[in-house]
Parts: sequence; C-alpha cells; structure tokens
Amino acid sequence: MFRYSISLLILILLAVIAQQFVPTFIALYNARVFLLLIVFLCIAVTVPLPVMFLFALICGFLWDAQCTLGSPAVDTSIYLDPVASLRFGTSILLFGFAGLLMHGFRPLFLQGKWYVSALLTGIATFLYCMSEYALIDFVRGSFTVDRGVLSQCGYTSLFSIIVSPLAFAALFYIARLFDHSIVETNRSKRRFT
Amino acid sequence: MKPLNLIALLCFLGGATWALTRSDRSVREIQYYYYSALMPFLKAGSAMEEKARNFSREVEHSKALEVELELTRAELSKLRQVEQRFTDLETENMRLRDALEFKKNTPFTLIAARITRRQTTNWYKTLEINRGEESFIGNQNPVVTAEGLVGKIDLSGKEFATVILLTDEKCQVSAKIEGSPEVGILSGRRADYGDPPMLALRFLSKKANLKKGQRVFSNGRGGIIPANILLGTIESVETGAQDSEALVRPAVNFNDLVTVFVIPSAN
Repeated sequence: MFRYSISLLILILLAVIAQQFVPTFIALYNARVFLLLIVFLCIAVTVPLPVMFLFALICGFLWDAQCTLGSPAVDTSIYLDPVASLRFGTSILLFGFAGLLMHGFRPLFLQGKWYVSALLTGIATFLYCMSEYALIDFVRGSFTVDRGVLSQCGYTSLFSIIVSPLAFAALFYIARLFDHSIVETNRSKRRFT
Repeated sequence: MKPLNLIALLCFLGGATWALTRSDRSVREIQYYYYSALMPFLKAGSAMEEKARNFSREVEHSKALEVELELTRAELSKLRQVEQRFTDLETENMRLRDALEFKKNTPFTLIAARITRRQTTNWYKTLEINRGEESFIGNQNPVVTAEGLVGKIDLSGKEFATVILLTDEKCQVSAKIEGSPEVGILSGRRADYGDPPMLALRFLSKKANLKKGQRVFSNGRGGIIPANILLGTIESVETGAQDSEALVRPAVNFNDLVTVFVIPSAN
C-alpha cells in the first residue's frame, strides 16, 4: 500500500507537469482535458479515505499554486470596485468534495465496475468546474450562468469521461506492479464468511 | 465514522484552513517556487513544441511540393517554393520591422517577450511570457503591442511572467474616450466566449454622448497603466438608471499574439 501510494504521488506530479502542455480548445468554449483532476478522481476510488484526503490536499495546493491571481495594488480612489478572485486554498476544498463524491461510490469500484467510476469522473468534473465558477460568481457579487459556461463545463467533463479509462488502466498497472490489489478479488468469499 | 477517517478529515480541514489563511505575499512566494520548479519542464516543452511546429511546417511543405511535382515541372515547383519562402520571410520581416518601429517610437523602454503558454487556468484569462525579473519585469507592469494594451503582469518569476489579459474581468483600466470628457473603468466580461471577447466600460455618466467607433484610451489614473495607450473602440452604449455602460471592441487581436512588449517598472 505504501509503495502504491508513493507511486500515486509521483503520478500526480507527472499529471501536474503534463497539464502544463494541455491546451484549451477555444472552439469548444475553452474546454480542456483537466488531467490533474482526472488523475485525482481516479485515484480517489482506489485508496482509503485518509489517503484520498492527503491527495486532495496536495492536488488542490498545486492547482491553486498554478491558478491563483494576485490582488492588484490599485488606487482604490480610482478603482472603486476592485474585482475579487478565489483565495488560495479554495481548490483544496473543491478537490476534497470531488474526491468524497468519488469515494462514496468506491464499493462499486471494488466490485470491479470501474466504468461506473469512469462515468462518475465526468459528473465530478462538471460539479467541480461549476462549483469553481459559482464561487467566482459569489465572490464577485453577481450570478451569471449562460450556455458558454455550461458548454465549457460539459465538454471538460466529457473529456474526463473519455480520458479516465486510461487513468484507470495506469492505476491498475501500477497496482499490479507493486503487487497491490485495488479491487476486491475475493468478494464472494468474504460475503459468506 | 472510523477514528482514523475522522482524524484524516480534521487534518484535511486544518490543511485547507492553513492554505486559505495565507497572506498574499506567502501565496506569491509559493507560486514563485512552484513555477521555478516547473520551469525546466516548461522550457523543454517549449523547445519541443518549436521543433514539432518546424517539423510539421516541413511536412506541409513537402506535401505541397509533391502536388506541385505532379502538376508542373520540377523547376517550376522549386521556384514556387522559393517564392513562398520569400513571401513568408517578407511577412516575418515586415512583422519584425513593425515591432521594431513600435519599440523605437514609443516613449517607454520596452522589453520584448514571446508568449509561451495561453489560458493556464479554467476561468481566468491569462498567458505566460518568457521574460521575468531578470529582464526587470515586475508585478502589475503593463503589457502592450503595436495595436494597444494586452494586459498587465500578474506574477513575475526569474525567467517567466504571467499576464492577466485585458479581456479578464479582474484586469481593470481607468479609461478615457477620444473627443469626449467621459472617463470610466474598462475591464473584461465574465465568461465571454465571443470572438473577439468584448470589454465593458463602466461608470460612464448617464448622459454620455458616445458613438460607435470612438476610440478608448488609458488615462493614466491609478498609476499602473500609462496614459494614451489604445484600449479599443466603442461598439455600443447602454444607459442604466444611474450610469451608462459601453461595450468596447478590444484593439488587440488576442488570438493572434506572438510577441508582446512589457513596460518595466523603471518607466
């Protein structure tokens, strides 16, 4: 388990690096393959809750280090209404919630139904993006959701569904490599004993 | 709930609270180290991207050459290719001349920078350039092109800087309108997916008499963006209960940016 968890940490760091080179699709409302989130969501169903929280903390921290905007040192007598943005650390909570959602369906994954979790990564990605946008709306004091926002979240979640089987394949491979089982192999035996 | 899970949850919430209560300076430091750690990968990736682009260009050229060979004599196709290359070089030369001319004609000291990455976040409109503190670029420095204002520096590292674009809601610029006493605050609009994304000029007087096509310039107030930098042109005006708001078409084509110029702090 320990070696598996360390290898997952390396996988997350690789996802952070790879994320730097993943472009946004302007034609698809700036949707993107949110690789870091996909890898995290897939990991979330393969590890116990404490480890999931640890990875949520790491992923959220890294994502915020990349995305957080500074507060501009502007003259408030001119710029009467400075625009706020999300605080550093917000993504940690969002990653935590998304991870909890995935973890809630872990029993199905343990039964070997990884495709349910793959579909769920899409839902979790959609909820993550919408929550992030809703929080920006909240701190900026107005709520505007239009077709573009929904499309961006929708396409991003669609990419997650498409890419997540690859992430699961990588996780199964890593687990096999370290002789660690991420699904219940003797489920029926357990049920009757 | 199992005790271990409860402890993990409490630790997680503790970690999140710690992160949420970091000061702006601490966050900037964290981001500085984060990007510094990523820099070797970004540099390598940028070099690979350049190579890939050149290779793809070469492939396109050779494909075109094959078609030409089928249709005309070898000599003619060769000449055409030379001509094409000449046109490319001429265009590139003109672009560089324009940039050089712009650099010469501006009253500021400008630092040329190449765009390395675009839109690195989900919702904020940003891009990254290959110059940073080593080129005397600091936070909040204006970023311009020959067409007008691009945005301002959000975070500057040793050899990189993040630019927040004028089309982002957070990038606010105090603006004036050509041939009018009106002043307002120009900023991008949230979740604007238009091509080009429009800007909103807020806090204009209720009786603002503006026409389509009037140019909008920075007025220099607030001390970040120098005065008289072109921002865009008025597209339409909407009068509200207390003030007016104008829709502004940005002067810069944000999809076509290759090289930008930063006005460093020394100015």
